[in-house]
Amino acid sequence: MAVTSFETLNASNIATTKTLLHESIPLTGTIVSGTYSDNNIKNYTHGQFQSVYDYPYLSSSANHIFDITIGYDESSSLSGSANVTQNAKKINMYNQFSQVLLGFTGSANNVRKFELDLLLDEVGVMNESIFLNFSRLITKDQIKKGTFSITLGTGSWSGPFANTKTLTDVSASDTRGTANTFGGDYGELYSTDNVVRGIVFYQAGIAILSTSSFDGVTDFYSASAGTSSIAQTFVSSSITASCDALRHRLQNITFNNTTEINSSIYFCRVPHNKYNHSANPTYVSSSTIRVKSVNTDTPVAYITTVGLYSADNQLMAMAKLSEPLKKDPTNEITLRVRLDY
Amino acid sequence: MSYKKFGQNDVIVNTMRAHPNCEFFIYDSKVYYNAKPEQSGAFSSQTLNVPAGHISLYEYNIDRAAGTNPLIYPFVYKNGDKISFKTVSEAQWSRLYSYGDQITSSYPLSASITREFLSGGAGGTTTITPTDRAHLAYQSPNFPHFYALKNKLNFYGIMSEHFKVSSSYGDKNTQEVNLISVPTIFYGSEIKPGSMNLKWYLTGTLVGELKDEKQNGELIQVGPVGSVGSGSVAGVVMYKEGFVLLTGSWGLCEPISLRSGSADVSGSWIYFGAGALDGVRQQAGIVSSSYSSASFDLSFKGTSDTQILTMFAHANKGEVNYSNNPTFIQYGQTKVRHTSSLIYEENPSQLIYNTVSSSFLGYDADYENQVYVSRVAIYDENRNLLGVATLSNPVLKKEDQDLTFKIKLDI
Repeated sequence: MAVTSFETLNASNIATTKTLLHESIPLTGTIVSGTYSDNNIKNYTHGQFQSVYDYPYLSSSANHIFDITIGYDESSSLSGSANVTQNAKKINMYNQFSQVLLGFTGSANNVRKFELDLLLDEVGVMNESIFLNFSRLITKDQIKKGTFSITLGTGSWSGPFANTKTLTDVSASDTRGTANTFGGDYGELYSTDNVVRGIVFYQAGIAILSTSSFDGVTDFYSASAGTSSIAQTFVSSSITASCDALRHRLQNITFNNTTEINSSIYFCRVPHNKYNHSANPTYVSSSTIRVKSVNTDTPVAYITTVGLYSADNQLMAMAKLSEPLKKDPTNEITLRVRLDY
Repeated sequence: MSYKKFGQNDVIVNTMRAHPNCEFFIYDSKVYYNAKPEQSGAFSSQTLNVPAGHISLYEYNIDRAAGTNPLIYPFVYKNGDKISFKTVSEAQWSRLYSYGDQITSSYPLSASITREFLSGGAGGTTTITPTDRAHLAYQSPNFPHFYALKNKLNFYGIMSEHFKVSSSYGDKNTQEVNLISVPTIFYGSEIKPGSMNLKWYLTGTLVGELKDEKQNGELIQVGPVGSVGSGSVAGVVMYKEGFVLLTGSWGLCEPISLRSGSADVSGSWIYFGAGALDGVRQQAGIVSSSYSSASFDLSFKGTSDTQILTMFAHANKGEVNYSNNPTFIQYGQTKVRHTSSLIYEENPSQLIYNTVSSSFLGYDADYENQVYVSRVAIYDENRNLLGVATLSNPVLKKEDQDLTFKIKLDI
C-alpha cells in the first residue's frame, strides 16, 4: 500500500544502545575425562594440542568446546633438561601464545613472558604454563569478567579430587586488567589461599594456568614408567600425555559469556493531527469512512505497521505492532522501533 | 606489494537460490526429521535434548541434563533498555524483577511441525459471556489458527477456488479441516511451489499420495493409480506461510484408530499426520491397536537466498611479477652495500632466484621473470585489509600471461 505521509527522523529521534546477553556455561569434568572414554578427545598427528568436544567427535552433534596444550619459555630450566620430549614444540607453543596475547618487548623484539600479575615488568614470570583455549562458540564476544572458575584436583593420581584447588577471577572489574596487551582484557586467577595461579584473557577466551597450581603433587601423572610431578611430566612426557594428565585432574570449569547486541532505536512520533486516516482500501465503504457513524465524528485510524524509509523514500524495514493502536486527533503516540544487528 | 583497483565490471553481486529438501515422517506419535534417528546420550535420553523430529536452536546443550551435567542457559540483567525474553511478559518484567536482577530463560529452543484437527467445523465459534456483563457477550473462534488464516485463504482464491473459505467446493467453516503448520525455520523464505508431497502408508503400503501438480497450491491425489479419490483435490498448501489445510474426507483405507477418545474412523486426508504433536496416540483399551499401522510422509523443498559478491582480480601481462618473499632473491648474496650513520644502501645487483624448471638433468633453464601467486588480498579504499583469498595451489604467473582470479564471498 502506498504511503501517503512521511515523518522525518531527526538525530534526536534516533538512539543507539548496546545490550549484553549472557549465557551460563558449565563444563563438568566428567565430560573432559571419563564419560565418553576419551572418544570426545581429538589428538592430532602434529601433537601440539588436544581438542575437547562435548560429545564423541565423530558424531555430527558434537561441538568443539576447548583446546588444551602446555608449553614453556626457552629460558625455563625445563628446556635445558636432559632427554626432553618435544622440547621445540613446547617452546613454540609458549611463544605462540605469548606473541598473540602479549607481543614483543625491547630493542631485540623479544617475545614477552606471561606473568602472574601481567604488569609486564618481568616479575612473577610464568615460565611453564598450561593453556586452555575456549571455543568461540561458547565464549561468544567475551567471557564475562568475574565469572570464571576452574576447579583442579590436587590429590593423588588415583584419587585426584580428594584435594581440590579452585581458581577464580575474584578481583576482576571493568577497569582492572586492561593493560595494553594484545590479547585484550585479562584477570588474575586466584586460588582460595589468595595466591595468583593463572591468568584469563576475556576477549580471547584463553585461560593460562601456572604449573604452581600443582606444587606438592608428586604424582601429577602416572604411566607405565611410573609417576611424575608436573615438572617431570613437562620434561619427559609428550604434550598429549601432559594434556591427558591435566584432564584427569579437571573437575569443573564454569563461566558466563557475553554477546553484545547493538541496537538502533527509532522514536517514531505520531502527532495528534496526523495519521488519523488510512489508505487501506477497506477504510472506505460506499464512499463513506467505515469507522465513522455520522460525518461529524472525529476521524479514527488503527496503526498496525511502521515503515522505515531511506532519504530517497526507499522502504528499508517494517515494524509490526502486536495489536493495532487506535489513533484519533485527541491522542499522540510515540512508537519505539528497535532494530538489533 | 602493489595495489590494483577493481574496475566497474570487476565486482558483481548476485543471488544464489537454493532449495534444500525437508522431509517429515510421522509414525506412532513420533515425528522424524530428514530420517534422523533418535540418539540417546550418557546423560540425556536425546543427545540434542529435543524430541525426535525437532531441530534445536544453536545445538548447544548436547547430552546435558540438570544435575550432573547442567544445561547452558541465557540471562540478561534488568536495566533501562527494557530488554527481556519473550517468555517474560511485560507485567512480569515490571513486577517480578528489580533493576539489576537476573532474568533467565532456557535452552534448548526447538521447532517441529504440528497438526491440528479442527473437528465439527473449522469456523465454529463459542459465545463467551463475561460474568454480570451479558451485553458484552462475544463470539470466540474455536480454532483461532484457522480464523487467522481466513483472509489469506480468500486472498489466494485468485489462484484456485479451493483456497476460498467458502466456494462451490464447500465451506471450510463447516468442514472438518486438518491443519498442518510448518515453522519457517524449516523452509526459509517460502516452500518451493509444486514441491509439497504427502504420502499415506498403511502397514507400509502406499494408500494415498498428494502432489501440487499445477504448482498453484492445490494438493491433488496422484496415487496410487486408480485409488479412490484419485485426481481429486484433497486440500491446499500456503507456500509463503507454511500451512497445509486438508479437507479431503473420502476413505483411503479401512477404519483405523486415528482420533483421540473416539471410535475407529475411515482413513482419509483429514486424519493425515495423526500423531504429529497433536495429542493423538495409541490408546490401549479404548480403541483398536491399528493406530500404529499408519505412517505418514510429508516432504517439500524450502527456499533460501544467499547473496554472493563476486570479484574479478586481474593480473595482466607485465604486472604482478615480483614477490616480497625473502626466498625470491638468490641465497647468499650481499644484501646491503653500504651502511653507516649517514647512509644505508642496498645491493642493487642482487639476483632473483631462477624458478624456471628445466626438463634436462644437470641443465639450468634460462632465466624468466615469473612468480607463483598464492594469495589475493582485498582492501578497502583506505587500504584496510578486508579479506584474503588463498589459492589451493600456487599459480604460476609468467610475465607474458594474463590471469584473472575469481573471488566469491557469500554475504
